[in-house]
Amino acid sequence: MKKLLQSLFMMLLFAATAFGQERTITGTVTGKEDGLPLPGVSVKIKGTSGGTTTAADGKYSLKTSTKTGTIEFSSIGYILQSRAIGASNVMNVTLETDSKTLTDVVVVGYGTQKRGETTGSTASVSGASIAQKPIQSLEAGLAGRAAGVQITVPAGLLNTPPVFRIRGTNSISLSSQPLFVIDGVVATTGDQGLTASAANPLASINPNDIESIDIAKDAASTAIYGSRAANGVVFVTTKRGKTGAPVVNYDFWVGWSKAYRLPELLDAFQYTDYKNEAIANANAIRPGSVNVTFNGVSQLQKFVLTNGPDGQPINTRWYDYAYRTGVSQNHNVNVSGGTDNTKYYMGFGYTNQQGIYQKNDFKRLNGLFNVDSKLNKFITIGGKLSYSNEKNLAAISSGSLNGEAYGTSGIARTTLVNSPNVSPFNNDGSYNLGATFVGPMNNIVTGNQVGFYNFAQVLSLNRENNEIDHLQSNAYFQLTPFKWLNLKSMYGIDYINSDNDIFYNPVHGPGQGVLGEGIGAFRKRKNWTWTNTAQASYEISQHNFNLLLGQEQQRNTVTGYGIDRQGLTDPAYDVVQAGYTLNNSTGAAYGENYLLSYFGRLNYNYAGKYFLSGNLRQDEYSALGVKKGIFWGASAGWEITKENFWSSAGLDKVFSSFKIKGSYGKVGNISGIGDYATFSTYGSALYGGVASSIYSAAGNKELTWETSKKTDVGINFGLLKGRLEFEVDYYKNNIDGLILNVSQSPSTGVPSSVATNIGSMYNKGFEFNVNATPLKSASFSWNSNFNIAYNKNEVTALAPGLTEIVTPTGSTATGENVNRSIPGYSIGYLYVVRTGGVDPATGRRIFFNQAGRAVTYQHIVPTGASQWTYLDNGSTAPAITQGADAVMYHNTAPKFYGGFDNTFRYKGFDLNVMLTYQLGFWVSYGTNAGLHDQRYWNNAVDVLARWQKPGDDTNFPRAIYTDNVSYGNTIPLDINIFKGDFVKLRNVSFGYTIPQTAFGKSGINRVRVYVAGQNLAIITKYPGPDPEVSSNGSSSSGQGSDRNSGPNARTYTMGLSLGF
Amino acid sequence: MNKGNIYIAILCSTIVFTSSCKKELLDPALKTSVAAENAFDTQFRIESQANSLYGSLKNGSFYGGRYLAYGNIRGEDFINETGNLVTASDVWSLNLANSATSVKGLWSQGYLTINRCNVFIDGMTTKGNSVVGDAAGAKYVAEARLIRALSYYSLLQLFARPYADGNGSKPGLPLRLTGITGPGFSDLARSTVDQVYTQILADLNYAETNLPSTNANALLNTTRAHKNTAIALKTRVYLSMGKWAEVITEANKLVPAVAPFKAKANVANDLVTDIALVFKAPYTTAESIFSLPMTSSASPLDYPGTQNSLASYFYFTNATPGTTEYSLNPTGVIANTGWKSTDKRRALLFTSAASKQFVAKFIAPSPYTDYVPVIRWSEVLLNLAEARVRSTNTIDPQALLLLNAVRQRSDATTTLAPATVTDFTDALLLERRIEFLGEGLRGPDLTRLLLTLPLKGSAPAKTSSENGYIWPISSDELSLNKLMTDN
Repeated sequence: MKKLLQSLFMMLLFAATAFGQERTITGTVTGKEDGLPLPGVSVKIKGTSGGTTTAADGKYSLKTSTKTGTIEFSSIGYILQSRAIGASNVMNVTLETDSKTLTDVVVVGYGTQKRGETTGSTASVSGASIAQKPIQSLEAGLAGRAAGVQITVPAGLLNTPPVFRIRGTNSISLSSQPLFVIDGVVATTGDQGLTASAANPLASINPNDIESIDIAKDAASTAIYGSRAANGVVFVTTKRGKTGAPVVNYDFWVGWSKAYRLPELLDAFQYTDYKNEAIANANAIRPGSVNVTFNGVSQLQKFVLTNGPDGQPINTRWYDYAYRTGVSQNHNVNVSGGTDNTKYYMGFGYTNQQGIYQKNDFKRLNGLFNVDSKLNKFITIGGKLSYSNEKNLAAISSGSLNGEAYGTSGIARTTLVNSPNVSPFNNDGSYNLGATFVGPMNNIVTGNQVGFYNFAQVLSLNRENNEIDHLQSNAYFQLTPFKWLNLKSMYGIDYINSDNDIFYNPVHGPGQGVLGEGIGAFRKRKNWTWTNTAQASYEISQHNFNLLLGQEQQRNTVTGYGIDRQGLTDPAYDVVQAGYTLNNSTGAAYGENYLLSYFGRLNYNYAGKYFLSGNLRQDEYSALGVKKGIFWGASAGWEITKENFWSSAGLDKVFSSFKIKGSYGKVGNISGIGDYATFSTYGSALYGGVASSIYSAAGNKELTWETSKKTDVGINFGLLKGRLEFEVDYYKNNIDGLILNVSQSPSTGVPSSVATNIGSMYNKGFEFNVNATPLKSASFSWNSNFNIAYNKNEVTALAPGLTEIVTPTGSTATGENVNRSIPGYSIGYLYVVRTGGVDPATGRRIFFNQAGRAVTYQHIVPTGASQWTYLDNGSTAPAITQGADAVMYHNTAPKFYGGFDNTFRYKGFDLNVMLTYQLGFWVSYGTNAGLHDQRYWNNAVDVLARWQKPGDDTNFPRAIYTDNVSYGNTIPLDINIFKGDFVKLRNVSFGYTIPQTAFGKSGINRVRVYVAGQNLAIITKYPGPDPEVSSNGSSSSGQGSDRNSGPNARTYTMGLSLGF
Repeated sequence: MNKGNIYIAILCSTIVFTSSCKKELLDPALKTSVAAENAFDTQFRIESQANSLYGSLKNGSFYGGRYLAYGNIRGEDFINETGNLVTASDVWSLNLANSATSVKGLWSQGYLTINRCNVFIDGMTTKGNSVVGDAAGAKYVAEARLIRALSYYSLLQLFARPYADGNGSKPGLPLRLTGITGPGFSDLARSTVDQVYTQILADLNYAETNLPSTNANALLNTTRAHKNTAIALKTRVYLSMGKWAEVITEANKLVPAVAPFKAKANVANDLVTDIALVFKAPYTTAESIFSLPMTSSASPLDYPGTQNSLASYFYFTNATPGTTEYSLNPTGVIANTGWKSTDKRRALLFTSAASKQFVAKFIAPSPYTDYVPVIRWSEVLLNLAEARVRSTNTIDPQALLLLNAVRQRSDATTTLAPATVTDFTDALLLERRIEFLGEGLRGPDLTRLLLTLPLKGSAPAKTSSENGYIWPISSDELSLNKLMTDN
């Protein structure tokens, strides 16, 4: 290979000198907007091969023997300029940026297509728009950038996989996340960590190395991925080399992140008074009901201030011990260049990001190498090598990942619960530790409990770390035996090694009961894909044909093992390799699956006017009962501006383009089906140490993929010579055979829910996208994108006998069930009990039962009296329950969402302002129930508006100690459901590009400095920290539940880009 | 383009398209579990499954922990320390919701065990008996039916009105007797309490007939069923039904007329001299008719698990004794002056620095591997004693001997001599509170006699006619089983 390259360079050199006797044309190419030199611009004489490129300073020198002709200057991202060769040997050129740059070429499955020729619906985002952002993975930067694409960042924990929805939620039990295809290879997605830190594998791709992201939305553009296409397909293309001298870029930013909009809590004084009032109220109703036995004497519980080391009463703001200002820094270097025959790109990145939680860090070291080499006229080879090492660090659970909502360790929740009148430290500086939880200091309470863990101690010693080694690589061989035929074989791998290190100290926290615990678990995920394609294109008298045939295999295997050790043999040890008394295995995993596919695509167009396209794919998947399926998509388009009648009607003067397109097809979803879901199995168990095989899973031999039938109709048109470009789409996606984990009634004793293809749902809606250049002059320009999507989701059928799918927040056993999916409503609808304020006479919360009759509740009642009574006559009422009395209350899926992106440039200054919004949805702020729990839990300050005497008109019931019902901590209530609508100032950046003249001959060509902010402002009526926050991660049916989750981060960055 | 390139292209394509697919990968084999089709193929797998039925019974949500914990805390002898709903503070305060953790967890694990028994019995009929032979097959089925009976019995104690209320005519449980391995069987109405008891007794009678009279060793005599297990459980079941004559008939199969009260048939079950030995390794005394064994293996899980074990409910959740969910009610049975301080059973209590007392029968540290006693010989003796008194309504001499046998084993200096029948039955119930403190019998003892669940701490009392006297039905069952009715 090296020799080959050498000889190629030699040939080039020879070619350059051989014809060097004629005239030489020289000049400088600069950008029109900023007047800066442009490197890497291709300069060649029209109709000839060869030519040259501009150097780093924008200068070129072209030798030619022709006296006449045209020289073409072209560079990706700029409009091509043609200049006639004249008498002068100097030709300076300015190039204008092409606002349609991205629209030139669209990545489609197994190839690319010209934007103008596509008939499907694909949105494109440039890599530049997500580079330099304080994000961990590329999806986090996509919010608001493409119509119909909804990105939600569900937690402030670093590297939590964002929720990614294309045109609504398209599954109930399976994944609704799209398929990711990175440089042609299907990638692994979903959290790969086994600890309380998050590990999104897409974070392995340095956003700075991304050239473009193309998001395929309809059947026509996704059907080539058949059984995996139902949620849309995201094509990520990393940067590749361009012909020209080496170009070196260095980028750096430093950032500061902070939590925002934390709830305001009672301080120690308010807390102490309020809780004592609640105790007094309870005791007045039934003496002894809130007593505690203390030193052998039964007495009233009592909250008491304690003086701190300064002699003043302790008044702790627990937030201060959990959250911090995280400082992050990021460095990227890349080098790219190449000859006509061999091009390369090398990128290296180092990022060290601190999260808003203490000890939550993300560190990534990555390298990417792309090379393409044309060996001769017929053969091209190339490949990619990408390696990334990521450290996802944490010391304690944030409580924000899916399933963690009710964890005792969850730090976001603990900050809200722990009493403000105790300190994390004793006055002697040691940690204030009770028997199990934070010590009560002077408080006299049941169980000596005034909070959960003293997380300050836990943070100091525990670990929840994960380290990922991620290798993504591919190599291809391409043969072009005829000009019209292209044969390609590509083999790609995606290997993820996930190494997990958990340590719980023996003194306090989760490790206390087991006398210290160390867990080491390793999981290895290997994925290979081998793709073979043949592509033929043929043109005959304006009839253009393009045919693709291919075969692909994909194999995934996962193996995992680990050890869970308890009982440290010396309390000072803190690694899993140390001595322990108890050793158990953990994290055992074994899985495999295989997908074998054949596919084809035929594109046809006549004179760039009429377009037809068809896709067909057959997949066979190992995890299914019915393994083989056929998927297809067909589409058509009509470019009306090319019709004669259009110009004769004068419409061509109004519209620069006008295209109508439509598509229909059938695709599938298999993402999330267990590898062995078809089997009924007996698992391993023990009975007092004796081996046993226990009936543990019910399978379904008939299991097959979910089917989506997608319709898309759209028009694209441009006005004012392309300064305004509109795209409007209507879509409908009918999903049949939804796989539901059909729960059987518990009395059947079936050990697992059975995955069954049953149920249906649809999403339909409109998308509207406009790109505009409202202002453009030599020194000032304004580019703008606005997009909005309207989506309507409705579940139309569940299984016979299955009336509802309830999605728990937290675990099934201990969590709350606020999301309910039933036919006739959108997925994950909120299902709560209605309330009617507080009875002014008694201070009791009023609930409405199913019949609409008002029922009041008082937690503590005199002996023999009922807690539940009818408001109208005071008689005993049956207890209100969610099962009997809840109503379908509000939708959780946004009806409208989108973004508004504006870039202003004035000379060297640039300003970008990006807004994102989601509208028409509701969130269950379950945290709010906890914030008003009348046990020792701390409360939000609004609780002070409580009912105190008859006649008080308030929404806050009479304080009664131990009451965990009136505010919705046991039954989800409407008082905790809030509109989630928001507009966020997602990104603002302000930069200045220093004129090149400032650097002289230093070799520096480009310097841009900037300041930027993320999540700077939010307009919402939602009272929680952030309506985007979600307790259930990317769960399809559990959206809009915010229970004990932490806030998101607001980040300021300052950065510098250098080009050499 | 030359011909060579064409040939290369054709050759490459042919190789790729013909040789690369690995069709066999489309049918992966199970490597970490056994497919249902093969579950009854060998003697080993059948034995292995029989063990799993016991394993299902001993799940922490069921008999391995929580069922006993609920029996304790519904009674008056415990005080809730933490107010934690996950650890059954709502069970203790008798205000359970249909969706409560305790309600849903016990209901589903009970039925999970029942269905596993049913699937096993069906599998033995269709295949297993032909593999192990009819005699061995009947023994396995007997074990399954015993576990099924015990599961139904346990669910009845909480989810149905006591037999005494209307002689079993009240709604009982959905009675499922065939294995369910797929969807479509969710709906089934409740049988009456009497119908469920009838089935329990049919299962236990079958078990008595087909179980071995003794197993190979002390461990297996404690952890696997034998004839005495079935007989002993029948004394409990009949006692719950108030069928005193049948209690006597069953108990008399084992209990001699006079002391020493050592089983006269089958396994030589007997009172051990020191009751403390029952709760210590190896946990396999002659007194332990049936206990559920534990080890420290977490994967597969072989102990009750977090927030399930008796030790964590009643002794310690961390390494410090006395920091836990439930302390002993200072005005409960520990305040009884007739229970002498020298009684060895007082040694099974722990007093914390804060002067609170705790049950110290289950004290194995995390992961809490104490064996869980299901039925002990002393219960059979007291069951017989009670049945004799209640059936004859006299101070029965044998009953007095049996009562004192249990008392004097731990307190040799006391001889109980109740003056009236009422005194006698009170003394019997008190003896059961003392003897089985922490072993989950108090709740069922109160309800089978329709006694009021007494007030304790801040928790109110519940009379037998009040809402909350028995548990509500699992909300999951109500929503998925159309024919189910709530209590």
